[in-house]
Amino acid sequence: MAEHHTASDCKHKASSNAGGSVSGNGRHSSPAGCGGSGGGLSGGLTQPAGWQSLLSFTILFLAWLAGFSSRLFAVIRFESIIHEFDPWFNYRSTHHLSTNGFYEFLNWFDERAWYPLGRIVGGTVYPGLMVTAGLIHYILNLLHVTVHIRDVCVFLAPVFSGLTAVSTFLLTRELWNQGAGLLAACFIAIVPGYISRSVAGSFDNEGIAIFALQFTYYLWVKSVKTGSVFWTIGCCLSYFYMVSAWGGYVFIINLIPLHVFVLLLMQRFSRRLYIAYSTFYIVGLVLSMQIPFVGFQPIRTSEHMAAAGVFALLQAYAFLQYLKDRLTRQEFQTLFFLGVSLAAGVVFLTVIYLTYTGEYAKIHIPIIASVSEHQPTTWVSFFFDLHILVCTFPAGLWFCIKNINDERVFVALYAISAVYFAGVMVRLMLTLTPVVCMLSAIAFSSVFEHYLGDDMKRENPPAEDSSDEDDKRNQGNLYDKAGKVRKHVSEQDRPEEGLGPNIKSIVTMLMLMLLMMFAVHCTWVTSNAYSSPSVVLASYNHDGSRNILDDFREAYYWLRQNTDEHARVMSWWDYGYQIAGMANRTTLVDNNTWNNSHIALVGKAMSSNESAAYEIMKSLDVDYVLIIFGGVIGYSGDDINKFLWMVRIAEGEHPKDIRESDYFTPQGEFRVDKAGSPTLLNCLMYKMSYYRFGEMQLDFRTPPGFDRTRNAEIGNKDIRLKHLEEAFTSEHWLVRIYRVKKQENRQALDHKLRNIAAKQKYTSKKVLPSRFH
Amino acid sequence: MFYKLLIVVFLAVSLQGAPADGQKKKETLLSEKVSQMMEWTSKRAVIRLNGEKFRRLIRAPPRNYSVIIMFTALQPQRQCGVCKQADEEYQILANSWRYSNAFTNRIFFAMVDFDEGSDVFQMLNMNSAPTFINFPAKGKPKRADTYELQVRGFAAEQLARWVADRTDVHIRVIRPPNYAGPLMLGLLLAFIGSLAYVRRNNLEFLFNKNVWAFSALCFVLIMTSGQMWNHIRGPPYAHKNPNTGQVSYIHGSSQAQFVAETHIVLLFNAAVTLGIVLLHEAATSDLDVGKRKIMCVAGIGLVVLFFSWLLSIFRAKYHGYPYSHQIQSVSRSNGHCSHPDPVHIQPRWWIST
Repeated sequence: MAEHHTASDCKHKASSNAGGSVSGNGRHSSPAGCGGSGGGLSGGLTQPAGWQSLLSFTILFLAWLAGFSSRLFAVIRFESIIHEFDPWFNYRSTHHLSTNGFYEFLNWFDERAWYPLGRIVGGTVYPGLMVTAGLIHYILNLLHVTVHIRDVCVFLAPVFSGLTAVSTFLLTRELWNQGAGLLAACFIAIVPGYISRSVAGSFDNEGIAIFALQFTYYLWVKSVKTGSVFWTIGCCLSYFYMVSAWGGYVFIINLIPLHVFVLLLMQRFSRRLYIAYSTFYIVGLVLSMQIPFVGFQPIRTSEHMAAAGVFALLQAYAFLQYLKDRLTRQEFQTLFFLGVSLAAGVVFLTVIYLTYTGEYAKIHIPIIASVSEHQPTTWVSFFFDLHILVCTFPAGLWFCIKNINDERVFVALYAISAVYFAGVMVRLMLTLTPVVCMLSAIAFSSVFEHYLGDDMKRENPPAEDSSDEDDKRNQGNLYDKAGKVRKHVSEQDRPEEGLGPNIKSIVTMLMLMLLMMFAVHCTWVTSNAYSSPSVVLASYNHDGSRNILDDFREAYYWLRQNTDEHARVMSWWDYGYQIAGMANRTTLVDNNTWNNSHIALVGKAMSSNESAAYEIMKSLDVDYVLIIFGGVIGYSGDDINKFLWMVRIAEGEHPKDIRESDYFTPQGEFRVDKAGSPTLLNCLMYKMSYYRFGEMQLDFRTPPGFDRTRNAEIGNKDIRLKHLEEAFTSEHWLVRIYRVKKQENRQALDHKLRNIAAKQKYTSKKVLPSRFH
Repeated sequence: MFYKLLIVVFLAVSLQGAPADGQKKKETLLSEKVSQMMEWTSKRAVIRLNGEKFRRLIRAPPRNYSVIIMFTALQPQRQCGVCKQADEEYQILANSWRYSNAFTNRIFFAMVDFDEGSDVFQMLNMNSAPTFINFPAKGKPKRADTYELQVRGFAAEQLARWVADRTDVHIRVIRPPNYAGPLMLGLLLAFIGSLAYVRRNNLEFLFNKNVWAFSALCFVLIMTSGQMWNHIRGPPYAHKNPNTGQVSYIHGSSQAQFVAETHIVLLFNAAVTLGIVLLHEAATSDLDVGKRKIMCVAGIGLVVLFFSWLLSIFRAKYHGYPYSHQIQSVSRSNGHCSHPDPVHIQPRWWIST
């Protein structure tokens, strides 16, 4: 029944196309062949296919180049340096991998993190990124191209962005046509939503994962179209790479079953779908379980259950199809199908419901709420990251749904689910960006293909259109488009009444201007918002000249060279990876926030008064304390501004000792000046931040001890430290390091004991030392 | 002499007896009070007090139980919206305690409505509602026994934490499960199912692409205009400046938004989308040329006009856009680990040279 339906659907479409071409009115119910760039050229050239592929190749190459170079702002402005926080850990593990080998890396137990617990690194990371970088480094060295592993790491993400552009091109070509594919490749090469995670130096999982995501989707669409095991195995391998690279693979393993499920509901079941999904699920499952960090999760956790449910459903459905050929009681079959699909739907919904209520609970743990990426998204962020694409991609979605087929169902589901997740969490804008690029490209290309060419030459598009439908029926020789284009080139040459050249050129120009604005916006955003390494800061003077503030590295190198090799450094968890990577010292907590109570202990030490903090620091063997202080230069990302999160996280674990309300004024304000709460003014973080700051007058208009970040004169200028001493303060006071004093050799004897000692002089000399040591 | 002795003896006896007697009396009074409180609590998780009851049970000294009292004004004519919300949360807390396994007579929950016990408000010198005060078992309420409503909000969990703080009674807040969501979903499904059943001979509408495309577009537009942010953060619809009476619909910062603003953005996005669709339709439909030209011009007009308006709103919110080089480093964090800044949105640098 379903087979029959699809077949009739195809026939219907084909006939409507035929009608369109007869009337010559350009009525496309399906995509036109070569849009934008290809369409105009192919008419007069003798070898249009050759030209087309040359042109596509050139455009793709240029897109790669543009994408690569627009990611280099940071390298040009600063230097070839690893950015931010997580990349430092990835770099450190890649370094470990390339020096000690793969198996050593898998078994690596890092005793320099999470002192005194340590961390099993091999089993708690997605190794894809490190292995990719290590492999490239290895191959380059085999070829005697000697590069440092750091340079491989820095330039990995820009190179992979080119691969992303190529795979986006391939996917969009499968969904619509070549012109849209080229536009999509250009969009994804420069769109800020993706650049934000893939600038040079941002050596993070997402950089390679988006490529893996797009490529997996391309291969999936391909395998649904062809039903060949070859493409499906390719899809599984790509999925395996994705699993090894990023936890976002869960998106794939839910979206593909959703696609299959919706196709079943739409009665678009086919053998191709059956082969593709059955192969994908089994092989993909086995492959994904090979990653140590994933392990048995795919058969245990709820977010993978939807895939299993759909697999079972597909088998049941196929079995019913088989039975239907043998039996004739059709009514009963239909009823049975309804029952099965309803049950599966209920299971599916329940699983999703459970998953997201779980997610919801997670959001309310302070440590997760504290990370700014786990916030919902404002419309400004959407516009900032996508610009014109955010308004045009619904149009692409409209065209896709109006001309629906198997793979466009996929892209519609992709768009709807990704836009939902991006709305919930800023961070997931990353998964939305590719589909926005594809759909916007479809929207733009379907406008351009009608407005760019002359009225006279507008007849070729429908030709390939029907060839697309041909593809569907004889699945054997599918992707030989080049030949087909030639076949239809000189088919029709009929004049028609058009919109006239004036309107067309005006529309074309305005649309091109919009795209130009998009390009300018992308470059501006990349340059201003996403190209800061955040390890090195820059400030600009009034005349536009640039100052480099290199305080972080100054301080980390100081630690590296002036402290004991095994010294333990306490800092807030944000800086753990950087201390490990740059200073090579043991840290207590870092950005891998796996142990909340340990972090809470550090937060408690920071927010208690000095003597209470000293007890905690003693019990944790802390030698140095490192804090970030932005009051001198007005850097807002410093520890005082993060301080309330420290208090909250500490309060979550130690509600008896730390209370958030103690750090506010009675009016409920958080202020550092004289009106601030006394608990705040005497806690360790405050004291370390403002130690000796009261003596410092920054300029003549403000009193001494004026904090530029919070625009306030500090309330406690006479800070004395008892158990700590200042060890290092960087040039702009951005990083301050304190040494924790060791306990004094002998505890001071109290008065009474000394009197007794005075009475029995000769005995006490021998007794006392042995008693007190 | 004897007389005097007698008096002394009597006095001695009475002095000795009086405390014992008083003790006994106190105990009976106390147990009476406790049983009274227990009885009321068994009827209602939150005891309603008036002036007389308040003086007798809370104010009068012999007491070995803490009482948390919400001072509120729930009568409709008082128009206290916050009181109602706070009351709901308070009821949740009190019920969680009332039906928990750890329920004892160490602590009671009560409330005083302004219209029933305005003398209590006067007595305590209170002029704002709702207020939560803990009357500890011993002594008078201290400063910390008044709950800081402005700072901590009135969520039941926060109240429970405060109660645990003040009285050492730990209450696990159990919210009655919200059946509204699943119920609505069930109703919707039933509606769709019945519709499908009624029209089972004519299911064409399910295959209508326009309906599906339109609903998908609605969902996408709702999401991209930041309605999810509104749902989670609950911003005001618009801001009215109390001094000038001017209403601003656009939030000045790029980190926040008003509801009105998102509706405007939704409209603009939809208009641009419509423009693109019109452009496409103008080129492909089989209407006569005049109509198609009008469609085409309308389409490009919509796209350009609404996009430029969108851009200008964005520029108003995102200070320093487009080519100003005032901001050097925008603190949009794309690292795994930066915190939202409570104080500034963008870092500023002043380097005195």
